[in-house]
Amino acid sequence: MSTAATVRRPRVRMILTAVLAVALIAAPLALPAFANQTLIRIGVYAVAVLGLNIVMGYTGQVNLGQIFFVGLGAYVTAYGVNHGWNILLVFFAACAVAGLVGLLVALAAARLGGLAIAMVTIALPIVGVPLAKRLSDFTGGSQGTSARFTDAPDWSGLDNDQWQFYIVLVVSAAAFLLARSLVRGKYGRAFAAVRENEAVAASMGISPYRTKVLAFTIASIFGGASGFLYLAAVQYTSPETLSFGHSISLLAAMVIGGAGSIAGSLLGGAYYVFVPQLTNAIDPNLTTVSQGAILLAVLFLLPGGLVSLPRVVRRLTRRSATRRSTARPAAETSQQTPPAQHPVPDAAPEGPEQTERQDGP
Amino acid sequence: MAASLSLKDVSLHFGGVKVLQDVSFDVEPGVIFGLVGPNGAGKTSLFNCISGHYRPSSGSISIDGTEASGSPPARLARLGLARTFQHPALQLNASVLQNVLLGGHTRLPGGPVSWALRLPYTARSERAIRTEALELLDRAGLAWAADLPADELSHGLHKGVELWRALLSRPALLLLDEPAAGLSHGEVEQLIATVKRLRTEQDITIIIVEHHMGLISALTDRVVVLDHGRKLMSGTAAEAQSDPRVIEAYIGKDAADDAA
Repeated sequence: MSTAATVRRPRVRMILTAVLAVALIAAPLALPAFANQTLIRIGVYAVAVLGLNIVMGYTGQVNLGQIFFVGLGAYVTAYGVNHGWNILLVFFAACAVAGLVGLLVALAAARLGGLAIAMVTIALPIVGVPLAKRLSDFTGGSQGTSARFTDAPDWSGLDNDQWQFYIVLVVSAAAFLLARSLVRGKYGRAFAAVRENEAVAASMGISPYRTKVLAFTIASIFGGASGFLYLAAVQYTSPETLSFGHSISLLAAMVIGGAGSIAGSLLGGAYYVFVPQLTNAIDPNLTTVSQGAILLAVLFLLPGGLVSLPRVVRRLTRRSATRRSTARPAAETSQQTPPAQHPVPDAAPEGPEQTERQDGP
Repeated sequence: MAASLSLKDVSLHFGGVKVLQDVSFDVEPGVIFGLVGPNGAGKTSLFNCISGHYRPSSGSISIDGTEASGSPPARLARLGLARTFQHPALQLNASVLQNVLLGGHTRLPGGPVSWALRLPYTARSERAIRTEALELLDRAGLAWAADLPADELSHGLHKGVELWRALLSRPALLLLDEPAAGLSHGEVEQLIATVKRLRTEQDITIIIVEHHMGLISALTDRVVVLDHGRKLMSGTAAEAQSDPRVIEAYIGKDAADDAA
């Protein structure tokens, strides 16, 4: 069905990547400041969604606390900048602190398994907000704290928004490339195995516990990186940054973009940024209602997320193509389409149940 | 390389239910060993104890002389134990090749950082294991299915894919849980040929849980018969089939008397 596409793919993909890279590098120079700021915010949240996707989309562990790590990264960044640390050190500290906290939480939570992990992750932003208000020496309390470190240097000749765009571009591109290599190959298969069936994963030599801890820690590191980018873009953070509602929005963005898909994470970031803008433009009084309607519409039409759109379109066009060619013998056409016409549900695990009974002595 | 297995007084209780009671036997390296018994005899439970999915309530299980009971399955897998499941447990939306490749996990070196950075040796080992998986599929006559999603294959082929997945780990001890369940007659013949070939080509110990007496007779060097969680007898498959206690366990005392 997609053999022709896969044969042609490498070259097409290379050209597309080159075009995309040039477009991304040229974009901030050509676009107005407002567009740049929107793209910057997409990059910020795409990295957070990417992390969430690794732990939830790929490994199947419910994480409702991703925003906590974004906020943590943002606070660490603000603290480091205001204490005059080197900016690279600030970046690594933001990732490392978030990763370390994520690791500790995961070491405890992954032992519990199932919904317990979800409950622990709910607690993170709920505890995080009052904690951020209390620890005012570090966080500036309810007022929040600001840190300016992304003004364009004079030698660059760039505007601030263009400079910030390049910072976000470099960090998020690196995050996406690393995540992409990770989920292809050994660890991608291990994540999927733990998601699908822990007993099978274990019998392949994959420790479900360690794999969950790994995925959760990676998600936290990406959350920290996203927090760094958040502060680079917004230059201000407050307890509001890590409120629970944002965490749910991140989750919705991941599902809408495409769970278990790297490209879907980028679409998720775009959804996170664009949809509130869109619903505000429709009617500011009805934002939540229209957001819910969009969420439902996407989930009904594209259960695999926005990233599955090309696949669905291809399937529909193929189906109408076969329908048009009714002149062909029926057997031939039906042979060509079964995978497209009957998308077998993901879980049909207990098929051999009857066969076992037949086989009794 | 083939591993030996030794069970000593293995018991397993779930609450008050005694699933296994004082089961002992030894499996020498390189043999094909059968574990038979009527439904509910505790065969699969015993399997799960050996593979580490259950922890025996008492007794010891040692693989090549090292104590294995109580170790998590992932550690046993790294020691060279592989298994298939009674109900094939594949990732149905992943390709057949990806499913088989999962079996190569323990043979791929490097941690998550090396893989995320795509260090040359990770790419090399991934290519090598991929080639090997494709060869396995090719020899099994499944090369055509490598890129298909697993859910497009029949139940019989699912069982095959599970077997190739287990073999990609190059196990020293392979546990097959009802490999013939739900297979057609032809598929069972094929399975027998495959396991025979395995034994001549690889240094491997194989333990089979099975109802299919044809398969057990054709393949196993020795069998242990379980009934109600106890070892009923051990010997060759032929001895087991003519043993009155075994016949009684399978078809009941009265029927056995009638038959006699």
